[in-house]
Amino acid sequence: MGYIYKDVVDKYSIGDGTKMRDDPIATVLDDLLKLDDILACMVARQNMISVMPTAGTDGFKTEIHEIWDIIHRAMDDVFNVIREYSQTGLAEMEFRLQDYEVLFYVFHETDNALVSIIPALSNKGLIEVEMENARREIQNILNEQEKEKLEIV
Amino acid sequence: MFVGWDIKLPGFEYKLGEKNVAIGLSRKWDAREAGREVARLTLKELSRPPKCFLLFATIHYVDNGGLDELLNGVWDVLPEGTPLIGGTVPGFINNFGCFTRGATAMAVSHSDVDVAVGCGHNTKRNPRKAVEKSTTMLRNEFASSEYVNKFMLNFVSGPQLLSIPGIGYKKVITSGIISSVIRSVFNVSHLLFQKGIGREDEILEQAVKSLPDYHMILGTSMDDYKGIRNFQFINTEVVTNSLVNLGISTDMMIDVKTTHGMKKTELNFDITKLSRNRHFIHSINNKPAIKELSRLLNWPEDFVSDKTLFNTILYYPISFHYNGREVPVVMPAVFKDSIMAPCMIDDGEVSILTVDGKSLISSFKECLQKLDITHPEFGLFSTCVTIMQTLGYKINVFREEIIRYLGGKPFIMFFSAGEGSYSPKKNLTYANMSFNSAIFGYGRGN
Repeated sequence: MGYIYKDVVDKYSIGDGTKMRDDPIATVLDDLLKLDDILACMVARQNMISVMPTAGTDGFKTEIHEIWDIIHRAMDDVFNVIREYSQTGLAEMEFRLQDYEVLFYVFHETDNALVSIIPALSNKGLIEVEMENARREIQNILNEQEKEKLEIV
Repeated sequence: MFVGWDIKLPGFEYKLGEKNVAIGLSRKWDAREAGREVARLTLKELSRPPKCFLLFATIHYVDNGGLDELLNGVWDVLPEGTPLIGGTVPGFINNFGCFTRGATAMAVSHSDVDVAVGCGHNTKRNPRKAVEKSTTMLRNEFASSEYVNKFMLNFVSGPQLLSIPGIGYKKVITSGIISSVIRSVFNVSHLLFQKGIGREDEILEQAVKSLPDYHMILGTSMDDYKGIRNFQFINTEVVTNSLVNLGISTDMMIDVKTTHGMKKTELNFDITKLSRNRHFIHSINNKPAIKELSRLLNWPEDFVSDKTLFNTILYYPISFHYNGREVPVVMPAVFKDSIMAPCMIDDGEVSILTVDGKSLISSFKECLQKLDITHPEFGLFSTCVTIMQTLGYKINVFREEIIRYLGGKPFIMFFSAGEGSYSPKKNLTYANMSFNSAIFGYGRGN
């Protein structure tokens, strides 16, 4: 599944507000970001953010900008574990840093994950339901893209 | 009662399908578009125009066009005069999936069903009067119904926190003075501001007294578990602090059941001082309540706080008693040394319960296995939002079990804070962390 991102990886950059246009995965992330308790979300793997919401980091809730750098570095360390164990069934990870929690919803048997940053005191159960819906929707998009590529070949 | 049918706005006509009960879903953000979509997708499956429309929506539409616009969107599609009830919920499960954002609806068009809706207002101020008004509406509507079996969905405005000046919305108050003030204005808050607990336990009791031959389930209307605001729908109106009832009179068989996964521990205690309104436990074992509870559970003092509430006290419900019934409930708030019960309770000896994800899932499977109908047509379920808090997206297991049990037939499970059921044979159950099922169909198993 990771190879799907080859086309996407270098297409967009982060941190400068470059917009993700016409990407169905970005649309899913946009929907997730509209929830009050989702401060930031993205599809990522180690050392790489593959897909951002349409507005990029500009779309993240403002309170996250102060802590974004440190969270981003911590995320990369977590992806070490995901990379190691994703093929053996690792499905979710999370950590708390200061007043925030970072949720990783790993795509099945890949080292990519849907990542969200939420306030530490949020109603996590409700957020988890929508995270799972987003994961499933993105998984479907990726499956469709893979099918289209195979058909072209 | 059902009134004719006509084609609505261009682009929203629908071709009638083949079902007698259908459900729909919308995940659109815009309230008007969501209303249109959920109505259109629900109605297009029906074999004939709807006799009733049950609508649940999450609180997000308040800030994305408004709930009035959500209803306007529904009425762009729904035939004029169709009885409609519903309200805001923190989440729901249906045949399509599990959601904490969106709108879902169920419409019934069975030929052998009569439907009525009722509404009573000011539920926190005067629950008895609200029930009397609503049940009278149903009783009058069904006076000429020839069908034998009766059902009522009680959907009540749920708890709403009072905003404390300088503090905001808090569930754990450590200040003795503020706690004292809140406890003393508890009753006044209900009367004047209609803030506080939902009093849904009293509503269910009154409903049973009014209509003892009805099967019932109870659920409460909420926002996204913040407990700040909630809204109910009755026909074309959005209301607050109300009870809305959906009544079904039918020759179909009806079965209702409540189960919960709570298990008794070996920890018991005596409620030795209870407030006059039966909601505040001031002392247990003759000691300040929260301190003594913490000691029994081996928790450090001050362990229970707003930060830890979701991971501590909510997982140790208490098996209270009231009027001879067992009432297993969670404690939603702490005021200095006193613990608040969400419903009326009696003093005396009670047990500490415990609950985990595995027991919740087993309990729900047990609930379905014990239902009495061999050929279900549709189902309606109310359950506790704390279960969603516990299991997160793993609540999908409930959806899978229901689909298996109903054979793919339509259902909605909505989340609540305070639920219960009643049947003439099984009597009344009010609980938290529970599953309350109402199944309609044919053929008795047992």
